[in-house]
Amino acid sequence: MWIEIAHFSALLAIVLTILQIVSSLYGVTSNNNAWIRVGRHSAIVVALLLTVSTVGLINSFLNHDFSVLYVAKHASLDLPIFYLATAMWGGHEGSLLLWAWLLSVYIGVAAWRHWKTHPVSMPYVLAILGALLLGFLLLVLFLSSPFERLIPPPFDGKDLNPLLQDPGMVFHPPFLYMGYVGFAIPYAFAMAALITGKADEEWLVATRRWTLFSWSMLTTGIVFGAYWAYYELGWGGYWAWDPVENASFMPWLTATAFLHSVMVQEQRQMFKTWNVFLVTTTFALAILGTFLVRSGVLSSVHSFASDPGRGVYILGFMTVLLFFSFGLLTMKSEQLETDIKLENPLSKESAFLFNNLFLLIATLTVLLGTLYPLAVETWSDSKVSVGAPYYNAVFIPIMLGILFMMGIGPVISWRKATFKQLKRDLMIPLLASIVAGFVSFAIGLHNFYGVCTVIVMAFVMFTHILDTRRKVLARMKTSGAGSAFRAFNQLISRNKRRYGGFIVHFGILVMAAGFIGSGLFQEEKNLFMSPKDQIRVGSWNLTLDSVGKASKYNWQAVEAVIKADNDRGFSVELRPQKRVYNETSQPTTEAAIHTTWFEDIYVVLGDQVKENVWSIRVYRNPLIVWVWAGAGIMALGVMFALMQGRIRKEKKQ
Amino acid sequence: MNKKKQKRIFLILTVLIVGGALLSLVFSSFTGSLVYFYTPTEILQKSESLNGKTVRIGGMVQEGSLVKEEGTLKIRFLVTDGEKLFPVRYDGMLPDLFREGQGVIVEGEWHGGQDFIAKSILAKHSEDYMPVEMSEEGIANAKKSILKSLQ
Repeated sequence: MWIEIAHFSALLAIVLTILQIVSSLYGVTSNNNAWIRVGRHSAIVVALLLTVSTVGLINSFLNHDFSVLYVAKHASLDLPIFYLATAMWGGHEGSLLLWAWLLSVYIGVAAWRHWKTHPVSMPYVLAILGALLLGFLLLVLFLSSPFERLIPPPFDGKDLNPLLQDPGMVFHPPFLYMGYVGFAIPYAFAMAALITGKADEEWLVATRRWTLFSWSMLTTGIVFGAYWAYYELGWGGYWAWDPVENASFMPWLTATAFLHSVMVQEQRQMFKTWNVFLVTTTFALAILGTFLVRSGVLSSVHSFASDPGRGVYILGFMTVLLFFSFGLLTMKSEQLETDIKLENPLSKESAFLFNNLFLLIATLTVLLGTLYPLAVETWSDSKVSVGAPYYNAVFIPIMLGILFMMGIGPVISWRKATFKQLKRDLMIPLLASIVAGFVSFAIGLHNFYGVCTVIVMAFVMFTHILDTRRKVLARMKTSGAGSAFRAFNQLISRNKRRYGGFIVHFGILVMAAGFIGSGLFQEEKNLFMSPKDQIRVGSWNLTLDSVGKASKYNWQAVEAVIKADNDRGFSVELRPQKRVYNETSQPTTEAAIHTTWFEDIYVVLGDQVKENVWSIRVYRNPLIVWVWAGAGIMALGVMFALMQGRIRKEKKQ
Repeated sequence: MNKKKQKRIFLILTVLIVGGALLSLVFSSFTGSLVYFYTPTEILQKSESLNGKTVRIGGMVQEGSLVKEEGTLKIRFLVTDGEKLFPVRYDGMLPDLFREGQGVIVEGEWHGGQDFIAKSILAKHSEDYMPVEMSEEGIANAKKSILKSLQ
């Protein structure tokens, strides 16, 4: 019953989405506001209908309704309730519905929030977003329906893939999708601006917060994925340059470029074409990501059995999207021309230009490594893969460049920076960074790129701190704010966007420290252990106590109990497992991890090699928790920046 | 030429030089890090020309061919695509999905005529998780050969 309601709602949503497109367009051509209002109401109703659909599907999971094919494939009677509710996005069909649902909710919110503020763009925004949603709904309902029945129903389902039975599954896909889908709104506003010929700053102001929000969701989603891969896949790392990871990373890179170059347009009315290009590319790459993951063209941990039909459909969808957007951009680009030219190499504009250059080359690097194997496979008989060494070789120098620009960008002035200003802002940071480089070398960091990263990190840290300090002092003088603390408080609460950005930059530094620690100083030990055997890793003594059995919910496991004693006198118990899930008989490795601010001890249980002897692998991953903490700080920074309301900004101008 | 124009040209040149340097880095490291994928039949045909190169080979683990050396993690097994097979050695922790009769991808340096020393092993569950690199035909063939070896 529930599934029929869900199915019916989705079908009705398609009809209303078509109504939304047609009536908005008709309303704007016939200059009849009533029709546009119909479009707006449809958008809101569609969001409600798809919410019913999603809830209906989740409810079928909760009721163990195995007469629904999708439920039978991705759940079982033993599956814990926590995963039952989220198994909805455990497969193709459901996750596409999640995509469509999130998009419809965003559209509803956009139709509600921007109705009064952007009356000119609104009909086009509604039509474009409606077309995007229609594209996804057709895919959900006619090529990969999660609502199909399975008659007769089986007694028990096939269960959720064991790798997905994890808290990571609960967070990673929704956050990633909230990011992907969110870029649809700035994209639609940009396109509407081109069509209406009002390609000025209005669309940027409208979409600034959407972009920031989506960017932070995408960042969080990617890092959740990395964290999940880290503790679930049992190989001690968190990023493998897997094509699907790359697929989520590419829109992140272009979105980051966009976030920065937008500022140039706001302040200096330059980079207009470029910004439209960036927002379109970001959204197109988000769709590409969905295509790569959902069509099964890639072989990776994310892609299950392949389905050429869906792949062709999404590819067609993307082609239309690209032709429409870039066609429109080329046709209308003369509107975006500006007389203001970037002429001074020492200016904030030029710093952002280099930031964009580095980010775009980074995107190109990933795109090449991800798509080249597909191209080779399509046009020749051979098959090829691109390994991590390629990405490491290229990415480290590019990232150093971006980090360096991060130190300069926030402090250099618009238009023209004088040498005097630069000396004031950059002299101390440069000296400090050189000192930091020597210190890091002296305390044992002997890797060239490692030292370079420390130098650049110190540089960024000092430019940010000194800039804030200078501004606090200035405020104390002019406003007589009295205490430094009050002045600081005033300063950051009046420039939430700027200081939100500073917080994000700080998060990136913390993350970079994590990359150096875990990337350059990881220790790995493979060995055989019998009970009472000991091994020393870092400042830890690990003793194998026993190996026994464990079981819970829908799995059984072989479990080792390992006592880890730290030299500083405290000890913890680690319990790595090798699990077998009842329904799938597929074994999975559950690493045991002890996390401290300084390092992670990561233990994996291998096979039993003979009576009473097990193979064990131990990693010591220094500073890895800084990677996750850095992501958290970045999210906080964005939230802080989002608190700056639109109205206040406009008043000031 | 006025000073403004000079500065502009300087800026454009810097962008081109930095961009060009990075792009050349991208392309030069790219060509060096491609690893080609072969089936057992293909690699045995091209054995000579691939000597010393890093390759990936995909096939099935021949049923009944897996030998474990007790007390170590060393294993030996045969990889087949139904037509040709070749011996592989590996020392290390195996992926969870590694099993006889299942799809596998081994990566390492190819030296014709010797056992293939795998540096890494990727295993795939062939029920719901086909290695995309394997053709349908290859999988059907491999399954047939497994049946044969059972008889």
